[in-house]
Amino acid sequence: MSPATQFYVSSLSILFGINLIAVWGLDLQYGFTGIYNFAYIVFQAAGAYTTGLFALHPAAYYQANETYVGGFNLPFPLPLLAGAAAGGLLALPLGFIGVRRLKGDYQAMAMLVLSLIATAFVNAQQNLVNGPTGISFVEKPLSTQLPLTPLGYQWAYLGLVAVITLIVLWIVRSIVSSPYGRVLRAVRDSETAAASLGRHVNTARRTIFVLGGALAGLSGGLLMYYVTAWSPTSWLYPETFLFFTIIVVGGTANLAGNALGTLLVPILIVEGTRFLPQIGYPGLIDSLDWVVIGLLMLGFLWFRPQGLLPERRRKWVTFVPEGRRSLHDLLRFRPPSALPVSTRGER
Amino acid sequence: MSLIPGIIAFGLYSACLYAIGAVGFTLQFGVTNVLNLAYGAILTSAMYVDYAIGRGTPSIWFGILIGAVWGALVSVVFGRVIVMPYVRRGASLVAMAMVTIGVALIVQYTLEAIQGPFVYSYQVAQQSTVRIAGVTMSEEQLIIIGAAVVLMIAVHALLQYTRLGLAMRATAVHPSLARSCGVSTERVRTTAWLVSGALCGISGVLLGISTGSFDSVTGASFFITVVVAAIIGGVGKPYGAMIGALILGLVSSAAAAVISPDYKDIAAWVILIVVLVIRPQGIFAEFSSGRELIG
Repeated sequence: MSPATQFYVSSLSILFGINLIAVWGLDLQYGFTGIYNFAYIVFQAAGAYTTGLFALHPAAYYQANETYVGGFNLPFPLPLLAGAAAGGLLALPLGFIGVRRLKGDYQAMAMLVLSLIATAFVNAQQNLVNGPTGISFVEKPLSTQLPLTPLGYQWAYLGLVAVITLIVLWIVRSIVSSPYGRVLRAVRDSETAAASLGRHVNTARRTIFVLGGALAGLSGGLLMYYVTAWSPTSWLYPETFLFFTIIVVGGTANLAGNALGTLLVPILIVEGTRFLPQIGYPGLIDSLDWVVIGLLMLGFLWFRPQGLLPERRRKWVTFVPEGRRSLHDLLRFRPPSALPVSTRGER
Repeated sequence: MSLIPGIIAFGLYSACLYAIGAVGFTLQFGVTNVLNLAYGAILTSAMYVDYAIGRGTPSIWFGILIGAVWGALVSVVFGRVIVMPYVRRGASLVAMAMVTIGVALIVQYTLEAIQGPFVYSYQVAQQSTVRIAGVTMSEEQLIIIGAAVVLMIAVHALLQYTRLGLAMRATAVHPSLARSCGVSTERVRTTAWLVSGALCGISGVLLGISTGSFDSVTGASFFITVVVAAIIGGVGKPYGAMIGALILGLVSSAAAAVISPDYKDIAAWVILIVVLVIRPQGIFAEFSSGRELIG
């Protein structure tokens, strides 16, 4: 591969991994638990800003007339962890406002409006994160310490993203395939039934809202490190809709479906159209991309609302012997047999 | 003390602008049971159409007419061709929210593609001003207040004194019972889309004329205000939306005058958050028995 192709392929793969982390976080909320977080991009933004503010020097260090809080100039992994933490912490107040009591589409609308408000707020506050201009000059992690060419650094960063994506996959898989995952699906399908079986509906929702927020924050931090600049135009409300389109296209509550959707929607449509010859003024194709994404959502909700890879409906109860019921054991355990739900035995 | 007449005058003026949009939004939700998140985009499209037809010169009466016709047309087409088929196909309420946001994006970015990297501005003509009780207001602002009051009275008359209004209220509260009493809920819903769209278009044109310039996201930011007014009053309740708009207009005008103009919007956001935390069903929710919005 020529260096240019390598650069392109590696950057697409990096964006794929970063988006996939965010999509899993959102599907954990939307697909598995039934939380309609139409403000999801705000969590990614919180992570990105926090990572930036923890990695940058104080504003006075640069001669660029920027104003922002923080600027702690911490070494590499710490700002990323701070970004993930910021996403999780933001979920506490937003969850209190939007998720605690609101239902269904009303919740979706309230979250959408909160997202619009967050953008307007950051735009209006010049001192918080440098207002509409946003923050920039974030140094890529270890880019000065590692003896790498720019292309070599691309592959190294892809390695980092890949490792983090796999860790996130492990976490998300552990949750959705565990008994707790069943609680989440019960909360989604019938809140009343879940509560009547003694499950804490609100605790489950709050936990997943925080966890999804943390994953969004993590992906925002990785994105911040990769693109090195972040401003309010990076996180307008349509970006949340892009994540939802990914989930609807790929398959709701299906981790592989999420990956397929992430491959198809942002990479092929948004990135693929970069190769088209320029028509009209710069930015016209970007606008038309969004029109296509809207049409894609309408089309899938009409023709195939379950997505390309639908959720697997579990009809069998896995037989788990006594003493092997911890989450860790369950994951390693391959059941020798499965019992049908209808079997009326000693269970 | 001398601030008070100004606060009230500009609060009323903003409230009138908000009320037209909020009543249209909430009326349509109440009757058709679909949250129309494309409302802001339809509102923006009305600005563009008025600007294109009026060639950039604001003409308030003509604009109201164009906005009403365009908004009603788009809204009925949107409701009948897109929303109702999805509802009949059994799309969940949240899927409907996604459908309407999808349409919002399609409209918003089509407008952006047409507009390109420009901001449209109306050519501002010298306006005559009127002085009332120590407050100077432009003729345009007074016309907007007048138009809003007339529209609100018209909505009130429609809902309370006509058979159609009765049918609308019945459809909002209990659609299947209304149907079994001989109300054609399908036709009533189409009418609701029509009325809502007309109000949406009018509020879009008035917003464009009163702010002077706009682009493809103006409607999306005004949509915040519309939703805040609707939520204060309880979504689906036209009278609630009127009172919500009044509260919102007066509070944000007071915040702008007393603290600083930057706090005009922040006051609205604080009200929204307080209402969502303390009384998410809206202040006036008990006046009507729509579907449950909170758990």
